[in-house]
Amino acid sequence: MKETTVCILDDEPIVGDRLKPELEDDGYSVEVFTDSASALNRLDETCFDVFITDLKMEGVDGMGFLEKVKEKCPDSEVIVITGYGTLESAREALIKGAYDFITKPFRIGEIRAAVKKAKKRAKRNIA
Amino acid sequence: MQPVHLLKKFLGHRGREQIPFAELFKRFQDILDKNNAAMELIADMDGKMGGDFVFDRKYLTDSVHKLKQLVLANAYDLNFITNNQFLAIYDTIEKLAKELEIELSGQMVIRETRRIYHLNEIDEGMEDTVGYKAYNLSRMVSLPKIDFPEGFVAAIGCFRDYLAYNNLFEKIASLIETFKKEEKSVESVSTAIGLMILGGDIPPNVRREILNAANKICKGKVEGCYFSVRSSGVGEDGELSFAGLHDSFLNVRFGELLSAFKKVLASLYNPASLSYRLKMNLFQMEMAMPVLYQAMVPSRTAGVLYTLDPNNPDRPECILSGNWGLGRVVVEGQAAVDTFYVSRNTPHAITQQKIGSKKWMLAPLKTGQARKVPGKLRDKPCLSPLEARTIVEAGLILERFFKKPLDVEWSLDEGGRLWILQARPLKIQPAKRVQRPELSEVLKRHRVLLEERGMIAYRGIGAGPARLVTENDDLSQFPAGSVLVSRYAPPRLAEIIPRASAIITDIGTTTGHMATVAREFRVPTIVGTEIATQVLEPDQLVTVDAERNIIYEGRIEELLHHQLLEESAFEVTREFQVLRRILKKIAPLYLTDPNAPNFTPRGCRTFHDIMRFIHEKAFQALLQTGSNPRAFLKRGGKRLKSQIPIDLILIDLGGGISQKAAQQTHVSPDQITSVPMQEIWAGLSSPGTWNMDPIPVDFKGMMSSVTRTRSSEVMGNSLPGVNLGVLGADYVNLSLPLGYHFTVVEAAVGPKPENNYISFRFAGGVTDITRRSRRASLLKNILEKAGFKVNVNGDMVNARAIDLTDRQIRQNLHLIGRLIGFTRQLDVLLKNDADIERYLAKFINQAVPPEKE
Repeated sequence: MKETTVCILDDEPIVGDRLKPELEDDGYSVEVFTDSASALNRLDETCFDVFITDLKMEGVDGMGFLEKVKEKCPDSEVIVITGYGTLESAREALIKGAYDFITKPFRIGEIRAAVKKAKKRAKRNIA
Repeated sequence: MQPVHLLKKFLGHRGREQIPFAELFKRFQDILDKNNAAMELIADMDGKMGGDFVFDRKYLTDSVHKLKQLVLANAYDLNFITNNQFLAIYDTIEKLAKELEIELSGQMVIRETRRIYHLNEIDEGMEDTVGYKAYNLSRMVSLPKIDFPEGFVAAIGCFRDYLAYNNLFEKIASLIETFKKEEKSVESVSTAIGLMILGGDIPPNVRREILNAANKICKGKVEGCYFSVRSSGVGEDGELSFAGLHDSFLNVRFGELLSAFKKVLASLYNPASLSYRLKMNLFQMEMAMPVLYQAMVPSRTAGVLYTLDPNNPDRPECILSGNWGLGRVVVEGQAAVDTFYVSRNTPHAITQQKIGSKKWMLAPLKTGQARKVPGKLRDKPCLSPLEARTIVEAGLILERFFKKPLDVEWSLDEGGRLWILQARPLKIQPAKRVQRPELSEVLKRHRVLLEERGMIAYRGIGAGPARLVTENDDLSQFPAGSVLVSRYAPPRLAEIIPRASAIITDIGTTTGHMATVAREFRVPTIVGTEIATQVLEPDQLVTVDAERNIIYEGRIEELLHHQLLEESAFEVTREFQVLRRILKKIAPLYLTDPNAPNFTPRGCRTFHDIMRFIHEKAFQALLQTGSNPRAFLKRGGKRLKSQIPIDLILIDLGGGISQKAAQQTHVSPDQITSVPMQEIWAGLSSPGTWNMDPIPVDFKGMMSSVTRTRSSEVMGNSLPGVNLGVLGADYVNLSLPLGYHFTVVEAAVGPKPENNYISFRFAGGVTDITRRSRRASLLKNILEKAGFKVNVNGDMVNARAIDLTDRQIRQNLHLIGRLIGFTRQLDVLLKNDADIERYLAKFINQAVPPEKE
């Protein structure tokens, strides 16, 4: 079976730095971006199975990124991570098609579980 | 007192009178609430040190901001209550907030004080003052059962003095600028700075202090006293990232200690170090170089231990190499040595050994020159199996602490005693690491005992025989390397944590005190599993995966290696380091004694100190609003009606007294709704606790005259002349100037154990100081048995219990209640020393209070 691909976008490098090895240990192929412009460039080339994105960012923010992903890769699933106190925008993200949202700071296990569920659904979308 | 002050005091007093009593208490309640909120925030931040959370800079900035707001609000309330008596606290808050801001921005705040620190004088959080090598050594020094040679560090202050004395700051800075702009090559800049440093003079104070410290270690005999002199870098995790970049010197004679200091300083600017800083963009940090001095051990045998075989890291073996004499031949690989492969598992048997034909050795003392090994020793192993085992055991304790395979330099002296000289991470090629997909195949073959139960308090993997520890166990018998399994997470377990390979509890939180200690000693920990003590069998071999939250049966070497060979632990991320630094200015409590001279706004070193200070001063101010029962009764206080002859006035902060009693001036014990007060009262009024015999002296008279004088002596005027209980639904503060002594109890009871505490203070008595001190130590015995941390100072007893489950706190409050009655008996009935013993025995033998689950 083809490896499941995961894209992480967060302008705080710590998020990708810590999640990448964890998700790789789970058998995913992971790419990390810290600015939305380069993530969007990559999006032009390929659809990842699962996207993890922060909401608040310079340039195109997480909401904008989510819209672009849904437009270009309708079968992919998006997990939104948000800082404390931005639950309102999390709700908006869900309406716009995000699969799940997780508030920062989060336990690594939460993300692993969310990605596992999102992967299953993404695979179903394709099938 | 100056007339102005008198006037101020008078006006201040009048000013306070005008504030309604209810308003004062509302403010006090606010302070308590905000303190609780702040403590929760601190616990939350501390919990993030466990590595299971991903947090970013924003989390850190937001948390510090919230804390500052809470503390500022409390400072405002305190000044409201006290009519602006503590305006200086604002300066302290701002100063601390400023320091935190700098830490958050990634710069260093260095608070240097002394020039020289002995290794055992280095406190938590001093890595920037003494450098990482010295700091790590000082942390290892605290590990049980391992000996290190004596040593001291010429701290960052020495470095700065040296540069200043020789006028080098600006010269070096401008040379480095030319290097950064690539106007000059790294070699030419390095050489130029090196020459300037080597040509400088050591300032007289630094010279004197280094030689004094060295002289002390040599015990005055400088002839034949040798040192190793090493760099101890500052910034980042120096030990990890700058490894090998700076110079070290072995076998340095006393007369060369000062020139070695200069040589080590110069190595801060060697080409490798400068290039590394440029590459890692580390020039925005200050460059500084503390210097570590350690006594050389006159060794019979010395060498190196690799806790893993770098070429075969998946084998559960250590490599031990050694030779006769000093270890340098082994380190530098200059001559034939003995090599032993030793099992990582107990009892650490030697699985293979290659005995070299050891022709050369370094003479242990004086010259340190190479000399021929005597014929009969050449082909003889330089270590016995028992010695090999001892070295491996020590190495594995260190490995558990650093969570990395280590390269350990060791030495056995003539008497066969083991000394650890250095420990540093062992480089192992990442390709050698077992990958997760392979690993999951391995893991499938092992039975899962527990999965996703409880919370990870500290990430990591640990394995060993499960050791169930119960409340009454003798903790000194806990075998090193075992997995500590306990129903609760009481603070007393702290003493064995460094020896545990992992910790599992049924009940407990990631923010509790024990979890904090586990993080400090880096022991993988899972708390709150609910059923671990039932599922795990005594001495069953288990592997605790506190990364995925799974406990397996058996010892899974592959999993242990997988973690050991992890490229970079979460501890080295910038966010984690910043959190660790800021917590040091937030979480510790240094101001524990309200009577200490540093119990002032200026004496506060952390946010916790400030909170403690505000709480105490606010409470004292409330007590001073009345000096007799009537003053409190008039303003809403209620007199407690009971069989016990104690004139107690109760003040309700809200929820402490039944609503039905709202209009009454007297309340009965069953109308108390404050949970902690109920427990204390149950203890105080339990049969046999309160002596009902007629009191042989005028009790009231004693209280009004003697007590007040006495309490103002010992409490700095903070106690009222009345027995006063301030109650909340889950809070109590009881001040009892009973008889000739005083007792202060404060307690909070809530659903979260980490917010629960009891503090108990007691002093005074009618007898001479010897007997009072004796009684204090008897109280200490009783309280320590119950799990309190107790300080005795003369006749003053300060006890504190934290992190208590609901059952424990109720039991302890009951005990405190009995203790109050007991101490009063001592006062009234005490006739001679024998009586003290008798009453103590009586107290201890009285039935244990009924357990309430």
